[in-house]
Amino acid sequence: MFPGVDGFHWTFAHVIFLAIFFAVGMTIVATTVLAIWRAHRDVKTRRVEQLRWHAEFEDLPPAERTCRHELAGRVEHRTCPHAFACGTCPEYSKYAALPTDAPEYAFGMDYPPNRLYHRGHSWVREDEDGLVTVGLDDLASRLVGKPDAVVLPEKGQWLEANGTGWRLRKNGCEMRVMAPIAGEVVETGSPAEGWYLKLRVPPEMRQWRHLLRGGEVPGWLMRELERLQLQLSPEGSAPSLADGGMLVDGLMDQMPKADWDNVMGGTFLQS
Amino acid sequence: MASSTLIDRRFIARGVERTGTARFAMWLAPWVLLLGVGLYAAYLCLYYGLNQTNMDNRFAFGLWIFLDLSIIALGAGAFFTGFLVYLIKMKELKAVLNSAVVLGFICYSGAMLVLAIDVGQPARAWFTFWHPNTHSMLTEVTFCISCYLVVLSLEYIPMLLKNRKLRQAPSFLAFEHQLHMLVPVLAAVGTLLSFFHQGSLGGLYGVLRGRPFAFREGFSIWPSTFFLFILSAIAVGPSFLALTTRLVEKVTGKALIPDSVYQRLGLISGLLLAFYVAAKSIDTLVWLNVTSPAVGFAPWEHYSYGQFGIWLMAAEIGLFGLVPAGLLLWPKTRARRGWLMTAAALACCGVLLNRFILTVQTLALPTLAFDEFMTYTPNWQEVATFGLVVAYGVILYSLSYRYLPLFPQEKELAGEVIEEGTHVSGR
Repeated sequence: MFPGVDGFHWTFAHVIFLAIFFAVGMTIVATTVLAIWRAHRDVKTRRVEQLRWHAEFEDLPPAERTCRHELAGRVEHRTCPHAFACGTCPEYSKYAALPTDAPEYAFGMDYPPNRLYHRGHSWVREDEDGLVTVGLDDLASRLVGKPDAVVLPEKGQWLEANGTGWRLRKNGCEMRVMAPIAGEVVETGSPAEGWYLKLRVPPEMRQWRHLLRGGEVPGWLMRELERLQLQLSPEGSAPSLADGGMLVDGLMDQMPKADWDNVMGGTFLQS
Repeated sequence: MASSTLIDRRFIARGVERTGTARFAMWLAPWVLLLGVGLYAAYLCLYYGLNQTNMDNRFAFGLWIFLDLSIIALGAGAFFTGFLVYLIKMKELKAVLNSAVVLGFICYSGAMLVLAIDVGQPARAWFTFWHPNTHSMLTEVTFCISCYLVVLSLEYIPMLLKNRKLRQAPSFLAFEHQLHMLVPVLAAVGTLLSFFHQGSLGGLYGVLRGRPFAFREGFSIWPSTFFLFILSAIAVGPSFLALTTRLVEKVTGKALIPDSVYQRLGLISGLLLAFYVAAKSIDTLVWLNVTSPAVGFAPWEHYSYGQFGIWLMAAEIGLFGLVPAGLLLWPKTRARRGWLMTAAALACCGVLLNRFILTVQTLALPTLAFDEFMTYTPNWQEVATFGLVVAYGVILYSLSYRYLPLFPQEKELAGEVIEEGTHVSGR
């Protein structure tokens, strides 16, 4: 079969068979080697965080990929095809020019208008000193209450937008909070201080079109509260209308038997 | 399901419901027992040799080869779905692609396992590559199946690395992504390999000049059975995929794929099955009227021994070919889940019967004047080894379903009604 083995001699059939066989073998080997090499490159160039976000986004059900313009009531229905990267969306400007038609209240929660909000429940505020403060938004804070542990990045560390910002642990539930923007960590805070990170962001990277603002926030909150209500309803109970109550502080402690692993996955956009 | 009963919760994707760990262990227990018995039987065969089986010089092919041919045919859904999704761009079938890959991997690795026991001396398996019999169809089969199992493994790895715990490792995540990006290349290679080994498995029987029951004329070096095996495998692959998916839905009580995907699988299977039945009928007529008489056998002589009567041919072509093809092609029956599954089951039975006839009936019939009609019954070691493969398949599929994203639309479909009047309770 092979040259040099068992009195092999070249025939047309041998040439054809060996050519196909080795082409197939080489394709398989080359594919594997290429995948390993590219993976190694991705790890070295810290592209993994972006890959992780895109994988997480693909796993989100369509209802959680609602376009910001739908949240703001500018369009009736639209699902985001760009992993919430509105900066690269060719249709952003077209829809952004339309008037909003969304509720203007924040359901009794604290969502100051001078902040921008990430779908992973963190907020961003530009400070007068040029730094950018990042914190956990009110809904997520009310769910978690006082975390058992917080793992913050080191000072000087560079964070990627949609990469890991910091980690929380509560009642055995591990949560990864996504960094809402890219930047270098200058200072770290704590839940008690109401913020977690201060970042230095180069001027050319202050393109935060992907963050929610203004009239988009109440529409997003309304959907998030609906999701929470569904996920926290007892198994087998029929869907019911919200009674208008406010979200209590430290819901994880109030409802210890709920499936918080699942709820927090939906809250922090992780599958 | 309360999360407290899920000890392995951290390995299960968020947002999907899985049965409690204890209940899952109870489900696995009988299969593990069957696996254990099968492993013992396999040990006996490997240690003492094939005298542990009821196979002999006449019946060198028995239950195991029937099993091999059958699961390789049923596993064709893997390469064919990959071909339809990546090369024909039938995106709708992505809903079952992962499941198809797992089924394919199980089928082919199971086939390799049985072959290793059947051929024996697995440590010398490399001989078949280094000193192959270039005049045997089995050489092509060996080369293609080995390569295709590697391809299936490479297609299975990204799914494995999508496990919630494993994907936390950055290098695994990156490798999974990059391998996934290259899967279309693997799908193309898999299609090429599958085309040839499915065909060569059929060709293996078609070239048996000494067995007039199996011998067929054909095109160039390939007998007609070469093409019939390819056609029957790709016709039945989608049916088997639909059938297994429905079975998982029944067992778990959850909707896993949209109805449109079932419809599409049914239509593809129906079209190919109709084509196969037509080709098989023509082939049978040519064989009965030309090929068989040419080597001295009257047309119906082959069907005059024991249980192997003409009814087998009628069942194979009519009941398990024409009937399911009709049910799958007629929109009204295809739209009814019960009929669709009945047709899919009939189609799968048809391919099993075809492989049984070619493996067992071929060897049972006398071919020379002094030959006698012989029958063969597998002994417990053979049956247990058969059980080993089945148990291995059920266990691997169950674990894959529990820990890997086999059905990407499962979360979306959570709470869907899977049967009239029955709402999914989320088991």
